Amino acid sequence: MSRRSRLQSGTPLTRTATQTFLWIYVVVAISPLILMVLNSFRTTSEMAKNPLGLPQNPSFASYEKAWITADFSSYFLNSMFVTITSVIISTAVSLLAAYAFARSRGKFFRALEGLFLSGLMLPVYLAILPIFYLLDSLGLVSNLWGLIMVYSALGIPFSTFVLASFLRQLPPELEEAARIDGAGPFRSFLAVILPLVRPAIATVVVFRFVPIWNDFFYPLILMRNRDAYTLPVGLTRFFGEFQTDWATLFAGLTLATIPLVVLFLLATRQIVSGLTAGMSK
Amino acid sequence: MPAIRRRLKTGTGLSWGTSMLFVLPALVLFAVFVLYPLLTALSYSFFSWRGIVRDDFVGLENYVTVFTQLPYKDEVGNAFAHNFLLFIGAMVFQNTIGLLIATLLHRIGRMKRFFQTIYTLPYLVSPLVIGYLWSLMLSPLFGPVNALLKAIGLGDLAQPWLGNPSTAIWVVVLVTAWQWIGFPILMYGAALGGIAEEIDEAASLDGATSWQRFRSITLPLLVPAIGTVSILTFIGAMESFPIPYALGGSTGSPAGATDVMSLLFYRTAFESGSTNAIGVSSAIAMLLFLVIFGVAVLMRWLLDTRERKMF
Amino acid sequence: MKRNTLRMAGIVAAGALALTGCAPSSSSSEESGEDVTLTVWSWRTEDIEQYNRIFDVYEEAHPGVTIEFEAFLNTEYNQLLTTGLSGSDGPDVAMVRSYGGLQGWVSAGQLVALEDKVEGLDAIEPAVLAGAKGHEDGKIYAVPFATQTLQMFYNKTLFDELGLEEPTTWDEFIALNEKLLAEGVTPMALGAKDSWVLPIFADIIGAGRYGATDFEAAVLSGEKNFTDADYVASLQLVADMQKYLSPDVVGVGYTDSQIQFTSGLAAQYPGGTFELTTFKTQAPDMELGVYQVPLPPQAKADQPVTPAYADGGFAINSASKHQEEAAELLNWIASKEFAQLFADELSMFSAIPGVEYKDELLQEMWDLYTASPASYLLLVNFRYGEPQGTAVLGEGVQQLFLGELDAAGLAQKLQTGVDQWFVPGE
Repeated sequence: MSRRSRLQSGTPLTRTATQTFLWIYVVVAISPLILMVLNSFRTTSEMAKNPLGLPQNPSFASYEKAWITADFSSYFLNSMFVTITSVIISTAVSLLAAYAFARSRGKFFRALEGLFLSGLMLPVYLAILPIFYLLDSLGLVSNLWGLIMVYSALGIPFSTFVLASFLRQLPPELEEAARIDGAGPFRSFLAVILPLVRPAIATVVVFRFVPIWNDFFYPLILMRNRDAYTLPVGLTRFFGEFQTDWATLFAGLTLATIPLVVLFLLATRQIVSGLTAGMSK
Repeated sequence: MPAIRRRLKTGTGLSWGTSMLFVLPALVLFAVFVLYPLLTALSYSFFSWRGIVRDDFVGLENYVTVFTQLPYKDEVGNAFAHNFLLFIGAMVFQNTIGLLIATLLHRIGRMKRFFQTIYTLPYLVSPLVIGYLWSLMLSPLFGPVNALLKAIGLGDLAQPWLGNPSTAIWVVVLVTAWQWIGFPILMYGAALGGIAEEIDEAASLDGATSWQRFRSITLPLLVPAIGTVSILTFIGAMESFPIPYALGGSTGSPAGATDVMSLLFYRTAFESGSTNAIGVSSAIAMLLFLVIFGVAVLMRWLLDTRERKMF
Repeated sequence: MKRNTLRMAGIVAAGALALTGCAPSSSSSEESGEDVTLTVWSWRTEDIEQYNRIFDVYEEAHPGVTIEFEAFLNTEYNQLLTTGLSGSDGPDVAMVRSYGGLQGWVSAGQLVALEDKVEGLDAIEPAVLAGAKGHEDGKIYAVPFATQTLQMFYNKTLFDELGLEEPTTWDEFIALNEKLLAEGVTPMALGAKDSWVLPIFADIIGAGRYGATDFEAAVLSGEKNFTDADYVASLQLVADMQKYLSPDVVGVGYTDSQIQFTSGLAAQYPGGTFELTTFKTQAPDMELGVYQVPLPPQAKADQPVTPAYADGGFAINSASKHQEEAAELLNWIASKEFAQLFADELSMFSAIPGVEYKDELLQEMWDLYTASPASYLLLVNFRYGEPQGTAVLGEGVQQLFLGELDAAGLAQKLQTGVDQWFVPGE
């Protein structure tokens, strides 16, 4: 009932109701995160005594501790390298494949696309032991490239899915014109398709970036050497060392979250337009 | 083969060979790092193991174990039920509040991006972080949630949220839905953005109320988006691991009230007293996979038929 | 269609073949007489500094050997070690679990039997050494490094303030808890949300009631089982203790309970020696005391007991390229020098006899234990199969606290669980 009236835009009353509702959900969505940031500036005993308080003497001490003592800086660089490289690789190979899927009608490619798509539904982490032995036989355990290969492969189902549905909407006449001008399939792909597909790429990049950046399971098993830890694995280890040092824990959690927020802020527009293009049929 | 190639070449813009060249890098990566390990894991489930040494081929014995031996037979149904609860909770949450938010955002012009960004923030944060964060917030001793309830005079509602089996699972469900909702909001928003405004406006000129327009125009056009999101939600709910792990530990505390399939797999594979851990845990993994795959394919099929009927 | 499927299968198969064709990578150099780096893995992330200091001593005495101590989160350790021991990037020496937790690695042949390689193992108490043995072949696979004893810790400072004393009888124990309750202090801190602490709690409270060592022998021989009236009564005691715990005890996590104790919100902490370091770092000013829970009426034991278990041991990875050096390190770990360093640095009981504990409290606990030792029954004997006794009891005590089970039902649940694999009289 009340929902109906809210859906009517226009009258000042419903506008206020809409705004109120949206702002209430803003509080629901971010208050826990704000609490996380605020608590990172408090001391553990402050938190134990007064769970709700504001920072009394805000200090960056916990951040210093997390960044230097817990070696966050090197985990951070590893995470950056792994995430960016694997997103690039998986987007590149997926884009090529998606183009072929969008432009070939053979049963073979249809089956292949189905196979890739089914990858969306595979709980691949359940195959962690075989993955470990595979990387081990390739000499890629504790090697960031091993992790990159796994992530790149895991990104293919989602990326081809989004990119292929986007590419299908581009009329084939576009490249045909280029081909008539004598350009080969790769040339016309690069010159004609690539510029048009940018919004979908932005979507794929962000939606792959987030889970890879946050993943702790694969690096936990696959990266044995401290030098090859990514941020989330660093975090789990950090949870062991600082179990009861909540302030430092909160600082660590905040540090791990910042890059994603920045990325998202920078790219919201691209993501939304990429998704919009992908969703409409 | 040449015949096929020729036929394809005339039908589309790319020849078979060129298409293959385009597909090959992705195919190799996918086959090596996804398919091959998965098939290997499948084979593991048909053997008995001594630690990491493979023993005899035992057929389906590991699967039988899951349904006939303690502790699995007691835990597997319970865990599956919780996975489904996670799915249903997320579905309800995203198709009411999520859909409402997406619709409202579509109608307000101003500050749309701001709201979108804020709502998506929890989705960006690692689920493990979210889980730990909420477990600290819900601690009966030092948690701000109970402190807040007491501060605003609702002390009676203060609960050992994660210590009471009847609330603990709902905490897991709500936290999961809360974190995930940014994704449907974005997807629904994108789908709404793709609906031509003229249709909506025309209907509006015809005197249709807001609700009528939503029911008869917006909603049907949203079906594909809702379908895709639902499938992804289902997969996410069945694979759910970090949030239950952070909130209830690997045993699904209290007394199995927050247990899910991934936790059962994890316990069996890595915390077990049995030397055949790999065999049984692989069987659990395959069962989980079958359910995910089966239901996802079924949903896809239903969706496709439905879409075909509509258009 | 068929052709295409076949072709696809071919591609996949080719990929798989290419993989299996890859030779296992040969890692790290293997020259003799050269500098050797031994990697040691552990789950004690809390103790990294201390272990580094301990191994510094070894490195000084063994020029050319570098010990790289790597610690991983306790809860992730088993899965890391399982893959680590079989991979090419694993440790040379690893901390391994005891009793049932050791068997997976032993039966897969991932650890080296130590009888001929390490001296001084026979000096270790048999009950402790049992934790380092293969269940099937009875060989020793690890040098035990610590014995953990279970007892009641209390906040002496708080006890003094309230005019309370260590209880020596069950009545005094109950009166003490009632007094604390009346003073508005939580009598005992317990993190019942983490179910692994619960079997520990059950043994601290009830081992005396069910008759500790005698009952253990009777259960192992098959003469009695867990549905025995005395064992049920001991679980009833656990249920009776609930009123002296936090009201929402099943919602309290392990670390929360530690903070509860160290911040003075709770007066006592039923726990293991392994808590000591945490208590000391978190509350350096608090004076700690320990006691054994007195015998309840009708107790089967004739004096209060301290349940204990071997915490773990150091073992050699059979895939290590430095077998000799690793064995030499293990010989040192089995020596009194290591044991003393270990006790001093970590405030824990070494498994090697003849160690002096500088910490008075530690010495007191050790004396209590040696005067009336007992096994932490479920961990020592009932982790050799699935479901593990500790896991069943842990979940069951949660149900007991939540009112879903009574003591008799819990005992039955435990018996049904272990019946699945436990054969008495082996």
